[in-house]
Amino acid sequence: MEDEQRANLERVSREDHEAKSALWAAKVDYYPEKLVELGLKPIDRFVQYHPNPSRLMKMGITFGHRDLESVADAMANNKPWAVVSGLNPSGPLHFGHKQVFDELLWLQQQGADVYIPITNDESYVVDKAKSLGESRKIAYEQVIPSIIAMGFSSEKTHIFVDSDYPDIYNLAMDVSKHLSLNRVFGVFGFGQDEEGENPGTVFYRGAVQIAQILLPQLEEFGGPKPTLIPVGVDQYPYILLARDIARKKGLIPPSAIFTKFTHGLDGQGKMSSSRPASTISLTDEPKSAQRRIRGAYTGGSVLASFQKEHGGVPGVCPIYTLRTYHFEEDNRVWDQCSNGEILCGQCKGAATEDVVKYLTDHQEKLVDARKRIDEFILKTPIKSILK
Amino acid sequence: MNLEQLLSTPKLTDQVPQANLIRERAGLVTPQPIKLFYGETYDEAGHPVDSMKYYLFVSFLADALRQEGFDVDPSILIADSAACRNVGEKNEKYYMTLGEERYHFVERVNEIYGTGLRLVKMSDYINSPEFIDERNGVMEVCKADQELMSAVEKTVPESKVDIERSKEFLYSFDEITTIMDLDVKVGPPREDLYDNVARTIARQRGQKELMSLFLAPTFPVGMSWAYFFANEGIEDNGITAYKAASKRLQRNRIIVGHSNPDYVRDLMRDSFISTNPVLPNPVLDIGIICEMARKRLERDNSPITLADDFYGGGISEKQLKEKVGNDVDEYILSKF
Repeated sequence: MEDEQRANLERVSREDHEAKSALWAAKVDYYPEKLVELGLKPIDRFVQYHPNPSRLMKMGITFGHRDLESVADAMANNKPWAVVSGLNPSGPLHFGHKQVFDELLWLQQQGADVYIPITNDESYVVDKAKSLGESRKIAYEQVIPSIIAMGFSSEKTHIFVDSDYPDIYNLAMDVSKHLSLNRVFGVFGFGQDEEGENPGTVFYRGAVQIAQILLPQLEEFGGPKPTLIPVGVDQYPYILLARDIARKKGLIPPSAIFTKFTHGLDGQGKMSSSRPASTISLTDEPKSAQRRIRGAYTGGSVLASFQKEHGGVPGVCPIYTLRTYHFEEDNRVWDQCSNGEILCGQCKGAATEDVVKYLTDHQEKLVDARKRIDEFILKTPIKSILK
Repeated sequence: MNLEQLLSTPKLTDQVPQANLIRERAGLVTPQPIKLFYGETYDEAGHPVDSMKYYLFVSFLADALRQEGFDVDPSILIADSAACRNVGEKNEKYYMTLGEERYHFVERVNEIYGTGLRLVKMSDYINSPEFIDERNGVMEVCKADQELMSAVEKTVPESKVDIERSKEFLYSFDEITTIMDLDVKVGPPREDLYDNVARTIARQRGQKELMSLFLAPTFPVGMSWAYFFANEGIEDNGITAYKAASKRLQRNRIIVGHSNPDYVRDLMRDSFISTNPVLPNPVLDIGIICEMARKRLERDNSPITLADDFYGGGISEKQLKEKVGNDVDEYILSKF
């Protein structure tokens, strides 16, 4: 009976391992293929030449770029440049957001002025928030303090909640003159049964979003100047649109770096607030985070002996990405997992230790961060476009 | 410095034949001497220190072969006629004067460093009946062979192919004819295009083929990492060593007789430098030229170890920048 049970477990382990390996085999070329398909450049050359590249770049998590050259010149020669990265305030920040903000922090340390639009208008129009007021509340109570607690400099960080910075809509109106509905529909793929059938969404995606990207280049902010946008590869069409409009407005076409996503703990794609089981939020109780990690999907096997012999499949494992994208300085976890040197329990233990330490530290910093929100809020009126 | 040591100097040589092949070739040359050669043009911006890398290298190569008993003729060609080709009639005279200046500069190098280089100007032979006859012969061989003719076309930058075609690629044929009879030609890697054509013609004619010896490419100094990041492919060919205003970077070159030592120190301070030996290292490149100059002045025949010292961790980036900033003045700029 025991033998039969064991044979069954081995069969299940093998099938599971094969399925996970096949899944990884189907995904492994996704990012390299995207680079070729979209004509982007790999980040490797930047990593070779920059005297101290970011951890995410060194590990290939930030993996590609478009026109980073124009930003690099400013970066190396102490000329002004900016980074823009917005987010939806539909809930507290999670580790998927943290990955982006880690990169933003490094970019700020290289001299960038960081602009962070908190897009509560988008949250509302695409039904991620019940009201503008609710998403605004989340922005100030949960999102902005977490950003501040990550260590950004108040002098070089400019956060604005869209609904509290209506000047952005004037700029958006100005931007919209350079677009046609056909163009916007083409880029953003609006259509029946898709989100964003209301005019607010079209205006947000087609104009407000582009206005946010171009904002640092207005004369109020010392522009025109090189601007960098960290995005996922699926957002490249927006970058192209922004570059096109920048040219039309006599601004510098914004550059972009492309990052891989932190996997959701449920193994169902990227970490996302819309699937709570996929996330660890930065305001989660450490014990709750520990429970989520314990229950997370992995690239491992049912049988420890099978995994020791055949290794795990880190390419599909959210614990692997959680560790390497956030805490590791090199890719040794990949080898340890693939070679069967480390099992899922040990790996989850290490991840828990890192996550709990981070959350504890972060949540301590939140107390002070909540008192400093005003230092970070952008208040400069936009007058240049009204001349 | 013996032949092996010289040829294997890291960051000085790029693609070089094995020492034994050079010896073999030297042994075959009858009557002696073995012809070592480096040729260059110039521009209006002065004499870049990077040209000295070639002058000094050719003299060290000559010495290494002489030590082994070979008779050697190390020559430097100042390609004045070539430099005048595309400057327009008005400027021709001026460019010939610049050629004279470059010629005198190399004469001074001979005096200061005892390099013993024989100097030749292209204008001294280019209109001679012998050269014209030889060039006609070379052109005939190439025109009869489509593959060879296409290789000649490739010696010209794409943007200038049409202009050069209208001139029957005379510039390229002058270059190729000039190098036909050489034994060892020293130059930057991009000259492989000329050298290959010359070798093919020699093979077809049953003559001895020249050996190419490429030194490492030249890079501008005082440029940040961002410049190198943005210029993909610069690692392969760098900028033109002998033209101070190559890619309009004259402010980022050390120009002998012109650059102020303090300015050079600033250039060194601001220069990209990396401990990754695969990447360009303009500071180390200049340091190696200084080392060659020092060795000539001090009659020091030991190998050049600066690259090993740096990549081995014996000298830090800051120390190297300081050392090279000072050495340029002490061993080169102050001597002119």
